[in-house]
Amino acid sequence: MNAILTIALKDLKLLARDKAGFFWVLLFPILMAVFFGAISSGGSGNRAAMPIAVVDKDGSPYARAFLSELKKSEALRVREADLDSARLLVRRGQLVAYVALWPGAGRSFGFGGDSAMIELGLDPSRRAEAGYLRGLVTAATFSTMRGQFSTGGSGREMIRQSLATLQTDLTRSPEERRRAAGVLNNLERFMVSLDSTEGAGDTTGAAATTAAGAGGPRIKVIDIAEEENGPRNAYEITFPSSVMWALIGVCMSFAISIVHERIRGTFLRLRLAPISRSQVLAGKGLAAFLAALGAATLLLVLAAVVFNVRITNPPALAVALVAAAFCFTGLMMLISVFGRTHSAVAGAGWAVLLVMSMTGGGMIPLIAMPAWMQSVSNFSLVKWGVLAVEGAIWRGFSAQEMAVPVGILLAAGVVGFAVGARALAGSEG
Amino acid sequence: MPAIEVRNLKKSYGATVAVDGISFEVERGECFGLLGPNGAGKSTTIHCVVGALRPDSGEVRLDGEADPTRPSVRAKIGVAPQPIALYEDLTAEENLEFFGKLYNLGADVRKTRIEMALEFSGLAARRKDRVSTYSGGMQRRLNLVSGILHDPPVILLDEPTVGVDPQSRNLIFDNIESLKRLGRTIVYTTHYMEEAQRLCDRVAIIDRGKILALDTVEGLLRAHGGPPTVQVEFARKPAALEDLGGEWEENTLRVRTERPMEVLGRIAGMGDAFQHVSIERADLEAVFLHLTGKKLRD
Repeated sequence: MNAILTIALKDLKLLARDKAGFFWVLLFPILMAVFFGAISSGGSGNRAAMPIAVVDKDGSPYARAFLSELKKSEALRVREADLDSARLLVRRGQLVAYVALWPGAGRSFGFGGDSAMIELGLDPSRRAEAGYLRGLVTAATFSTMRGQFSTGGSGREMIRQSLATLQTDLTRSPEERRRAAGVLNNLERFMVSLDSTEGAGDTTGAAATTAAGAGGPRIKVIDIAEEENGPRNAYEITFPSSVMWALIGVCMSFAISIVHERIRGTFLRLRLAPISRSQVLAGKGLAAFLAALGAATLLLVLAAVVFNVRITNPPALAVALVAAAFCFTGLMMLISVFGRTHSAVAGAGWAVLLVMSMTGGGMIPLIAMPAWMQSVSNFSLVKWGVLAVEGAIWRGFSAQEMAVPVGILLAAGVVGFAVGARALAGSEG
Repeated sequence: MPAIEVRNLKKSYGATVAVDGISFEVERGECFGLLGPNGAGKSTTIHCVVGALRPDSGEVRLDGEADPTRPSVRAKIGVAPQPIALYEDLTAEENLEFFGKLYNLGADVRKTRIEMALEFSGLAARRKDRVSTYSGGMQRRLNLVSGILHDPPVILLDEPTVGVDPQSRNLIFDNIESLKRLGRTIVYTTHYMEEAQRLCDRVAIIDRGKILALDTVEGLLRAHGGPPTVQVEFARKPAALEDLGGEWEENTLRVRTERPMEVLGRIAGMGDAFQHVSIERADLEAVFLHLTGKKLRD
């Protein structure tokens, strides 16, 4: 054990003194996480039309008018769907969101009293667009309501009917009836004010937001990835990916260091010491594992402290990080025998890991991938690493759900280490 | 019992035969040289002897043990590999500390040995500097002492002076002679015949994976070196010396003879003015030329 620790500590010291290696292992992943987190969190300016679905559970003329209003927006590409389909499409990343109008939305013009009549189901990875989308929905609500009132038809008639019904509704207390009548009278006055400003301009998102601020429609916003358990901010998406970048950095640094040792002759010196080959390999593996675990932990501590990333299940996260670090340690051993020179190993290693990263959520968040790409990503260890970490951070995985990615990571680590160690032994003649 | 026994060792890389049936023994306390050009099979032989390479066939015994990969056997061997096998981003002291720990030296012993190694190699003043800042010669010296930090009785040095300046080379020679005086068994590979001639008690001349001759330096010279050469450079080429034989190159005559003084006497008696006279004894270069028909550095 002493020899293993001696080799591991030596390798960690060398890594700490290797400025380029240190950059790829720690600084680059942080930059990635912060950069992509920032651009996903902020976001303004020109956008492509957002694909959304409208779910009409109300079926009233108001609902149809609302749908028509949304379709007018150049910022949206609207389709109609039932609720299950809409949720599925958002979950798969094919839609940014859906807007559902619940039964009764037409009677209350979307305001709904104590309960929300409009539900906005959002892809959590597109949280940057949430405010904008909500503004568009609010604008459409007001615009529809204005249309209903300004035609002098159904809107005013509805208020009159409601006031008459209220007068005779003995199921409500006098106080309740007084407050409800006040709301309806205010609404009628609001309608009159709309008449007086007709033609003064169109209803923009900003105007709608102002109106909403003075008592706008109640819109319930939910994240669709895990319903109420979705990521709270973009950094909860970007930091799991950045952990994978750190592991990739460690993997490549140590794979290249093994080639370097073989070329320089230090590996021969290790082999000639009175220790077994397995101790030498275990020492290298332990160093890579500790570096990977350390870098991942540092990143997540930074994420939690500075970027408000929740760690909802710390024990599960510890298991996920150990499994991911172990997996990439095994991968490191395998990649180290991809060639006999630095350039061969670096070229082949980065090629494999970049493809894994691209398809596995290291670049594009898993949650934003189309269905076919999510199927492809099953072959990427980066995907299982991201999933395990996200499972412990915000996906709220049960132990059973965690077992799948963790098991795959551990198995891949064992296979990678065994095959790499065997090939390394074979290549030494 | 010899310190090292090698019997009919063979090792190939694909179709290339690197070592082709080599046999030799190295006695305890002996400095044994493997002299041959680059690619002759010297390093492969060393790697097979220490168990870094598995031979295709043949037998190696170190201190009577047949398996050189056993930790107990490895502890008795010190190796300075041909490449500079050091960690460049560590200091000399950190490199030695690391190798000392690998050889399981206790803290006190390790400290003492590191001090000795740094003094031995002349690197004590640069002990805290990273190896990457050292000259080639300094790295070679550290490479040597890193292999013998655990004070092994058997030391294998694979081309330990390649690419070093004359000052460092002399320091390395001094180090090796010190080790000889301490009774260590040394196997020394080189393609510099001067080094083999200066340091080795016995030399095996190796080419294309085979040992062509093995003897003491004197024995090799006697058997394969040929007679000394008398070389005389005249002011003008005289006409009356044709019967001495030898070869002319402009005004210089070279005569290979078992009786150099007699030849010199005859030349002096003829009264022709000469500018330079020398008698050159055969060396290992001549032995190699005689055995292979080519020069060592071809």
